[in-house]
Amino acid sequence: MVGTTSRAAMLTLPHRPLRIAAAIALATAIAALIALVLWAILAAATGSEGSALRIDIPHLLRMTTIQAGLTTVLSIAVGMALAWALNRLRFPGRDLVVGLFASAIVTPGMVVAFGLLSIWGRNGWINQASEALFGFSIGNPAFGLSGILFAHVVLDGAFAARIMLARLDAIPTPRLKTGQSLGLTPWQRFAIIDWPALRGTVPGLAAIIFLLAFTSFPIVLLLGGGPANQTLEVAIYAAVRQDFDLAGAVRLAATQIAVCSLVILAASALAPIPTSFGASVAPRWRDQGIARGLQALVLALCTIGFVLPLLSVLVDGLGAGIGRVVAQPAFWWATASSLVIGTASALLTLALALVLALGRGATGSGPLRTLLGMPAFAYLAVPAVVLSLGFFLAVRELGLAPATAAPFVVILANSLLALPFAMATLGPPLEAIARSRGKLIRSLGLSGWRQFVSVEYPLLGRDIGVMLALAFCFSLGDLGVIALFGTQDFQTLPLMMFRALGSYRGNDAAAIAAILLVGTIIAFVGLPKLFERIADAAR
Amino acid sequence: MVKFAPLALAVLSGLFAAPAFAEEVPILKIYTYDGFAAEWGPGPGLKAGFEATCGCVVEWIAADSSIGTLRRVQLEGDTTEADIIVGLDTAIAGEARATGLFADHGLDLSGLSLPTAWTDAQFVPFDYAHFAFVYDTDSVATPPKSFEELIALPDDFKIVVQDPRSATPGLGLVLWIAAAYGDRAPEIWAGLKPHILTVTREWSESYNLFLEGEADMALSYTTSPAYHIVEEGDDTIHAALFDEGHLAQTEVAGILKSSDHQELARQFLAYLASADGQKVIPTTNWMLPVVDLGADLDPAFAALPQPDKTLVLSDEEIAANSQRWIDEMLAAVQ
Repeated sequence: MVGTTSRAAMLTLPHRPLRIAAAIALATAIAALIALVLWAILAAATGSEGSALRIDIPHLLRMTTIQAGLTTVLSIAVGMALAWALNRLRFPGRDLVVGLFASAIVTPGMVVAFGLLSIWGRNGWINQASEALFGFSIGNPAFGLSGILFAHVVLDGAFAARIMLARLDAIPTPRLKTGQSLGLTPWQRFAIIDWPALRGTVPGLAAIIFLLAFTSFPIVLLLGGGPANQTLEVAIYAAVRQDFDLAGAVRLAATQIAVCSLVILAASALAPIPTSFGASVAPRWRDQGIARGLQALVLALCTIGFVLPLLSVLVDGLGAGIGRVVAQPAFWWATASSLVIGTASALLTLALALVLALGRGATGSGPLRTLLGMPAFAYLAVPAVVLSLGFFLAVRELGLAPATAAPFVVILANSLLALPFAMATLGPPLEAIARSRGKLIRSLGLSGWRQFVSVEYPLLGRDIGVMLALAFCFSLGDLGVIALFGTQDFQTLPLMMFRALGSYRGNDAAAIAAILLVGTIIAFVGLPKLFERIADAAR
Repeated sequence: MVKFAPLALAVLSGLFAAPAFAEEVPILKIYTYDGFAAEWGPGPGLKAGFEATCGCVVEWIAADSSIGTLRRVQLEGDTTEADIIVGLDTAIAGEARATGLFADHGLDLSGLSLPTAWTDAQFVPFDYAHFAFVYDTDSVATPPKSFEELIALPDDFKIVVQDPRSATPGLGLVLWIAAAYGDRAPEIWAGLKPHILTVTREWSESYNLFLEGEADMALSYTTSPAYHIVEEGDDTIHAALFDEGHLAQTEVAGILKSSDHQELARQFLAYLASADGQKVIPTTNWMLPVVDLGADLDPAFAALPQPDKTLVLSDEEIAANSQRWIDEMLAAVQ
């Protein structure tokens, strides 16, 4: 039933030239923005003397690729196992656990890394327990390549699980009933029912995770144990900040963009059309025997591995220091800025993602689908320090005062940052709807707007909620992009946290980290439910 | 008619008096790093102190790091709105001077109290501290007394340092080892390698690794213990003094040539280096003042042990060699 050839797609897809045109226009605009950023830097670089980059780029690329490749494979495997377990098991507090898993990826990487250390580090809970009980220490497994991989899998594996769980939860009930009546074994059930629903998400997820790991900077330095494990992003940072070698930085950035584009191209080309969509009632079909035991084991291991580090962040932060933090007016200003920025970016992300995903779902042409899939990732491929510099120069070039432009740049940048995650959430179900209900829509002669309001939106409710939660939490506060803009009055919670960390105020930072985490979990538990209800009402 | 003109002028000037007066209050724009301008940093106190006498408004414009402020004025060139940069340090002062963007300060700084006499024509120092490894007396009973003693410790004695390409203390350690050991620096780095738990991007990350007990020592400052004593009543954090001597990080401020408020900017720098300005610094920026504050210096600072010997590198030595020293360090710990 899957329309994989463009001819078949032409016959089943509703004719939506406007959607395709809008998506092409948006894709072009995003590409132009990236070009503008790089051009602004090159323009500023003219006149500076020729640069001598002192880095072994092939070596860096090799090391980074190995690390990112391992991260990707492990994260997808762990994420799939975890989604499988969470889809089958029902237990009190499940929503909270799902929310916790999802919150890992939007929590500042540093917070997660320090959470990991307080569990697995030399002085962490496990070592302390082991020393108290058995009199020996497990050493320090959290550093080196294994430490990097562990931290990345916690961040990315849990995110993959959240996206895949949404696909599994969306498997239509009739299909499950058929499977149950045929008496499928747990393995057959996975292969015949689950895998087709999951595989549509794998290439996109793999691309996101690879790019995140490829460009991961603070975690790699923090847990990597030194310059042996480093990424191209570090070299770019050094070229911009330390050497002030702008032309060299653009060259390195171009290298990174080229490598990342290969990954994105491959992912876009490989992506099969997903086949499941919509919201189903919670399945009452439990696996039995070994499979059920395995699911419980996976869940227990992931809970220890993923949830404990986050729990330690809460334990550390919600202690005595919190009173001092909430007593500061600056804290409430930062909270207000974070909420405004998060909301604005989440809505903008929703708009961008819908335009791209609707356009992509409306075309059966392979190259066009690839073209429309690429801009979503653009932001992940461009080094943050280059973006920050380029935005600063571009804003000045436009004659705007940096401090005035700062909030708008942050909202735009955060939306672009969240876009690949939004596409990974909304893209597969939208395409599945276009494929499987296309004939119906054509026969009813629905307009594009009616198609969205009566068919797509009601089926997407929960996914829109997940997407908004993701985008909102992502955008609470990455301010790296306005590093140069000079706006000390404009402060968000994550920035306040990092400023506190940089001024010895570790307790304040821990308290803010815990508050951020609580907010994130609330968003992840609450928003999907809220939007499911709203969409249900619209149905 | 003759009488009308002054009258008209008087009326007009009356009409515009308020806005004209508002424009006459000059605004002194100062680029700095965000921790300096933060509500708990020295920024608010210095602003209040200077505004009390200057008839002006001080506006802090905070970039994410001190090197960020320099890069910003380099990008802005003559069109920069900055009058002053506060917060560069001696490791990048040479590079900043070479941009040609900074004016002479013209101040007599002979009364300052620094480990080495101050002769810089463009930059005015406003605080300093020596780079040092800090340790916790609860877990490290006898700290090493030199790099060589540190190297000789068992490999499970761990230190955390910062990447010299992204953090000023990280660069400081590279310069410190180069100043102390010259051509033997790569050998020292190779010896340190087994002890280096990790090399972080920022100072804050490595300092927190240390506070969490993940490492025995972190590269920081001789003044770091003062924070824990003053703010937390905790005197278990100490700086290890090394026999080789220590390199100092001196933070400086400079006036931009393009500023329209040269005289006002000069007055600010004079205030910054005066006893009144200096009183603000120690317990907000956790560095030592550049003048002798006597009883006005918090006792926690006065009691801090200071190194007997201060190592010195000239701007020229730093500019000519820092790249090579960084490369040697990266190669050695790779």
